[in-house]
Amino acid sequence: MNYDDETLMAYADGEVDEAKRAEISRALEQDPELARRVERHRALRAEVAGAFANVLSRPVPERLLEAAQRGPGASTGEAATRRGTVVPFPGRQSRPPATPWRLREWAAMAASLAIGAVISWKLFTPAPLESITARNGSLVASGPLASALDSQLASTQTGNEPVLIGLSFVTHDNRYCRSFALSAAATAGLACRVDGEWQIPVTAATTPGEGLRQATSPPAAVMELIQARIASDALDAAGEERARHSGWRLDAP
Amino acid sequence: MTSAPEEIGDQIVGILPRLRRFARSLSRNQHDADDLVQVVVERALRNRGQFRPGANVAAWMFGIMKNAWIDDRRGHTRRGEVPLPEDSGEHPAVSPDDANTSLWAVSEAMGKLPEEQRLAVALVLVEGLSYKEAAEVLEVPIGTLTSRLARGRAALAAELGDTP
Repeated sequence: MNYDDETLMAYADGEVDEAKRAEISRALEQDPELARRVERHRALRAEVAGAFANVLSRPVPERLLEAAQRGPGASTGEAATRRGTVVPFPGRQSRPPATPWRLREWAAMAASLAIGAVISWKLFTPAPLESITARNGSLVASGPLASALDSQLASTQTGNEPVLIGLSFVTHDNRYCRSFALSAAATAGLACRVDGEWQIPVTAATTPGEGLRQATSPPAAVMELIQARIASDALDAAGEERARHSGWRLDAP
Repeated sequence: MTSAPEEIGDQIVGILPRLRRFARSLSRNQHDADDLVQVVVERALRNRGQFRPGANVAAWMFGIMKNAWIDDRRGHTRRGEVPLPEDSGEHPAVSPDDANTSLWAVSEAMGKLPEEQRLAVALVLVEGLSYKEAAEVLEVPIGTLTSRLARGRAALAAELGDTP
């Protein structure tokens, strides 16, 4: 049985009906050339999706946040006076957090996603705000999160700490990064040491109450970014201790 | 649902990362992409009355971006601007952020696709929309979407050195 390229593409994308899927799956087992063609469709898809994946975790420029947040004022006739003024970010929210997205929206996003920290800030309870501050378009660890990232060792945690540290590692561009979970806020994320601060390129929702598991098995969005940045392997207990001793500086003596 | 327009601003903030990625896959660099996102956000807020409560905000905004991107490209053509020659050997528009070779290579290859194929590839392969969702955003029948996607993929595979 021969299949045209569009059919094999649709099969690779999960876009054929159940009967067709079963039929093609059987054909693939018999025909290695057919299987190679399907595999090429999958590989190209992964290559293209992968190339743009990191855009999701980059800090969103202030001007775009301002453009989006001009919205609520405009509907009550304040548009003219507010246009051009800087909307403070993150600022205390005067309105309750946004209604959680419908399941379908989440499902669509979960496919590829490393959600920007912005959405987490919008959707989660105020608790993480004490631990995460916005500065010059980046999110930076502060308060209890910053202290834990500075000093807490994964190897000595009991699982009851308010901040749990997961993996610590060195990135391709020679920086330290550490994954973390804020148990009470059901939030996990990645923090990377830049210019003496812990910048937070990604956060994501996590399941609360799992203790250490929250930190050791980060959500997919965080895991993707770790995989994209990690140079070789996670630090072991001794490596973590040395890194702390150096103040998380790789150029330290 | 009177609250829907109020929620739109929040939902837009939430999908900004995705809008930036979709725009990046249509543009040569992140700066141009962010200009496009800004136009789309402003246009969406101006036309928020047209948003049907309960509809998918991301899909609605992808549709606005498709139109804004096509308008912008037609505008450049009318003004007689020409894109950089493909083989100029210099890519001044590429920012340090793009020092990611696979991003650079895939972005260059996508830049050579005809508009309609680039949109199909961006929505399905980059944004992960189903064929049906992508066809709705592009306002074309699903068969048209499928054939544009297949042609776009074949051209990309050839450009990126994978045998189709």
